[in-house]
Amino acid sequence: MSNTLGATVIGRSRLGKPQAGDAASAASPAPRKRRGRGRLRLEIALLSGPAIIIFVGLVIFPVVLAAYYGFYRWQGYGVPTDWVGLKNYQLILTDPDFHQVLLHNGLIVVLSLVLQGPLAILLALLLNQKIRGRSMIRVLIFVPFIISEVIVGTGWSLLLQTTGAVNDALHHIGLGFLAADWLADPNRALWSLMGIITWKYIGFAVILMLAGLQSIPDELGEAARIDGASYWQVQRHIMLPLLGPTIRIWAFLSIIGSLQLFDLVYIIWGQYISSTAGTSTMATYMVHNGRDAGNYGYGNAVAVVMFLVSLIVALTYQRLILRRDMRGAVTQGVT
Amino acid sequence: MMKKTRTAAIAALGLGLALAASACAGGGSSSGGGQSSGGQVTLSFWTNATPGPGLTFFHNAAKTYHTLHPNVTINIQSIQNESFDGKLQTALNSNSAPDMFLQRGGGKMQAMVNAGQLQPLNLTATDQSNVSPAAISTDSIDGKVYAIPMDTLPEGIFYSKDLFSRAGIAAPPTTIPELEADVAKLKAIKVAPIAVGAKDAWPAAHWYYYFALRECSQATMNATAKSLNFSDPCWTKAGDDLSSFLKVNPFEQGFLTTSAQQGAGSSAGLVANHKAAMELMGNWDPGVISTLTPNQKPLPDLGWFPFPAVPGGQGDPSAMMGGSGGYSVSAHAPKEAFGFLEFLLTKDQQQAYGKAFISIPVNKAAQGIVTSSYEISSLQAFNKAAYTMQFLDTVYGQNVGNAMNTAVVNLLAGKGTSAGIVSATNAAAAKGA
Amino acid sequence: MSATTASARLAPARSARRRDKPQKWGNPFVYLVALLLISGSLAPVVYIVLGGFRTNSQITTSPAGLPNPWVSSHYIDVLNSVTFWGEFGNSTIVATVSTIGVVLLGVMVSYVIARYDFKLKGAMYSLFAAGLMFPLVIAITPLYIVIKDLGLVDNLLGVAIPQIAFGLPTTVIILVPFLRAIPKDIEEAAAIDGASRLGFFFRMAVPLSLPGVVTVAILAFIGSWNNFVLPLYVLNSQANYTLPLGVQQFASQYSTDTARVLAFTSLSMLPALLFFAVFQRRIVGGLTGAVKG
Repeated sequence: MSNTLGATVIGRSRLGKPQAGDAASAASPAPRKRRGRGRLRLEIALLSGPAIIIFVGLVIFPVVLAAYYGFYRWQGYGVPTDWVGLKNYQLILTDPDFHQVLLHNGLIVVLSLVLQGPLAILLALLLNQKIRGRSMIRVLIFVPFIISEVIVGTGWSLLLQTTGAVNDALHHIGLGFLAADWLADPNRALWSLMGIITWKYIGFAVILMLAGLQSIPDELGEAARIDGASYWQVQRHIMLPLLGPTIRIWAFLSIIGSLQLFDLVYIIWGQYISSTAGTSTMATYMVHNGRDAGNYGYGNAVAVVMFLVSLIVALTYQRLILRRDMRGAVTQGVT
Repeated sequence: MMKKTRTAAIAALGLGLALAASACAGGGSSSGGGQSSGGQVTLSFWTNATPGPGLTFFHNAAKTYHTLHPNVTINIQSIQNESFDGKLQTALNSNSAPDMFLQRGGGKMQAMVNAGQLQPLNLTATDQSNVSPAAISTDSIDGKVYAIPMDTLPEGIFYSKDLFSRAGIAAPPTTIPELEADVAKLKAIKVAPIAVGAKDAWPAAHWYYYFALRECSQATMNATAKSLNFSDPCWTKAGDDLSSFLKVNPFEQGFLTTSAQQGAGSSAGLVANHKAAMELMGNWDPGVISTLTPNQKPLPDLGWFPFPAVPGGQGDPSAMMGGSGGYSVSAHAPKEAFGFLEFLLTKDQQQAYGKAFISIPVNKAAQGIVTSSYEISSLQAFNKAAYTMQFLDTVYGQNVGNAMNTAVVNLLAGKGTSAGIVSATNAAAAKGA
Repeated sequence: MSATTASARLAPARSARRRDKPQKWGNPFVYLVALLLISGSLAPVVYIVLGGFRTNSQITTSPAGLPNPWVSSHYIDVLNSVTFWGEFGNSTIVATVSTIGVVLLGVMVSYVIARYDFKLKGAMYSLFAAGLMFPLVIAITPLYIVIKDLGLVDNLLGVAIPQIAFGLPTTVIILVPFLRAIPKDIEEAAAIDGASRLGFFFRMAVPLSLPGVVTVAILAFIGSWNNFVLPLYVLNSQANYTLPLGVQQFASQYSTDTARVLAFTSLSMLPALLFFAVFQRRIVGGLTGAVKG
């Protein structure tokens, strides 16, 4: 899984200008002074040790334990004693409510990519220019991402309730006929959710894209300009392809994040109307049927299912999409 | 060498920060398990009362108790209501349980008892005179007492007397058909007849619980608690009652997205600002409403009447539903913990409790502090009730209760049926205990 | 030859940063787009901030209205309260420790995965990527037991260290590409100049991947600042509460004082905003001109 990610950002220029020294650096061992395998191992251990210890102890171990609970029927008090094997999983996979949430998650994944991706790339390209006020603009776009979920939920609830600010404002400016049930109406709720998600996470996408763009040397673009390319040609033929790896990373994080979406839905819709409104997700299903119902065993089983779904999606993504990074990065860039 | 200095600097910085953090942190106080050392006992007490008169009451009680028993120190810890259960459960399961904590009762208490996490309490004669056997019964399982109740929170319909008189309603309704007629009158003066916070499910579900209380006999309801089988036709009939009640559009617009108590925009807020005339709630509601009125004082025209009778129901029309706030003692807590709870039951403490929480203390001798008209109405109805039941999602356990609540919301959203409520609650048993 | 060129090329990178000071006004179209975007982003935020100047009753009766009258008591009360500043301090400590920890550990392990060749490299990366697929919500019960066994209950470190652990997956996923993107040429040049692998790491790899490092630092800080679930379970005494827990002050047993909550949270989002504003300038090209051979 790892080797294909992170193909070099310094690819070759499409306009054919020879670029010295941008040999693809993907995983090709370079001849260097051998310092001894012992020294190598020591360095690896020292550098990666702390992270691995903390990670395994505080993330992997509890999660494995939680998965273990998934084989029990357990109210959450005392130790689990009622072993039911795979029964929880059977119940999950045959539950029509769960099928519903799979559908919702799928929609959210796709819509997030479609709505945020192009917009973020466009904005990043626009904002990458060294113009006055760039910093301020960046900060202001990022504000929604900074706000905690709790306050996002409270604020948006107040805005989108049937008796809330949005409908009230529409009435005041005479567009009262547009007022609608933004949260509970199954025809609108998902779009309201996508609107809020885009609002919150577009800043994250833009920042990530900007960081990717900043890693591209100015010379490439300048060289192309000298050759007579227009601004938008430069963006389209040089920046965009070189932004590829960043886009693919962002998409990966976005997909996984969409699959695990919980806070926004739970706080704004609550655990009960999210299913009638069509915005329930795997995570809200897990909490609603698990923790809130006192069925901890069942809830943990749902978590394992969520993990497996994410894993399958991630592996598929890596196989189909991230493989390109390996293909494109091979030798062609050498002058 | 540059790199070594930089490494060292970063490491030192990190370490220094970490040390500073742990020094600043509260020293990792023990979260549970009372400690005795040389006669000195320190106990922990978890409550969901948050800063205000309620929490102040507990602090004062702890102080007074310390004066009476200088060897006992009690740490009162307040945890917000919604977060309480999860945090408590984690503490119970990791052997760091608080000594005394709020007990919800019903299925949750049963689960704690099954896991051996609660101490059975032996009430003395004095204790039993302070709190009646009827009040204790909701906190007992198989004859053993597992929690001490502090107050009773009977549920009924709060209403605005001003709005009623404006709509031309002379007296509160006593039957459901009368209620429906009043609904029509209130609509005529452009006020939402009934506010309900269906987003949180339980306020809507309480309408179902009450219809069930009216339709089902007491014997049926108790039997169902044991069997968790909802096949008696009265359960479906209750759902039908709710469906037909819905047909007169009694609730406010957008009730599915209204929360019950979350401040502005909640159903309580609607009542507080005279945008809705009625709300089915327990005795905590006046307190909630008073924080949401324009001048943040209690609503002056607030009244109360019991849930109306349902013609033809097998349940007694005077039966009442209500919650109660009790406190349990964890299995390994020292005996002084029970002593503090006994202290809280005495008349003076109960009077202070009732004042602080604006609720009805469980000690009958202290109930004289009840003064507002709605409290008096509810107290009278409570004392006259043929029998009382706790809220059904408490009685039947979290698993079934949650499923029931969800199914009721589905019904209200037009996506479920009364038969659906029954099948959902029966199906829930498969997923949990 | 390549060595001097490589090191010479780094100098322009640094002056490029200084040169980065914007000099000209851009296309008005850009500003228009930015304006639309910002209005859309900020409108709800403005609503939230203004909500703190109203009473609950105002919000119920006139949802879309402006404060009338302006009630400043909520904001003033919050700014005057000792608990607010105490919680502020706690949040700052936890967020700082978490961020430094995540960045430090994350950069180290990402570097190993990105640039070393060894058998278990793929497995190591997969380990961290797998961690991405588990939300904190589900691991909280067994995690609490681990924290308790470490003796870190009711301790700010008991919040910071798990946060470091849970922040590693995103960090690794973002940093590995940035660290891989540094061309081998530079590494070879540095080796020829006599720098060790670790030396290269500290003196060149980290600065060159600064955009990525700053990005993960920002994400870590904000994630920690807003984290609610972990402090809720781990912290018991009021004195240790972080800001998100402080919101509970404004919820009574059965209700929420919405207006006060809005004021409180408006104030508590300022530090995270400040942190971002200060550090986002550092998301600037580190590889500028590092390529020519």
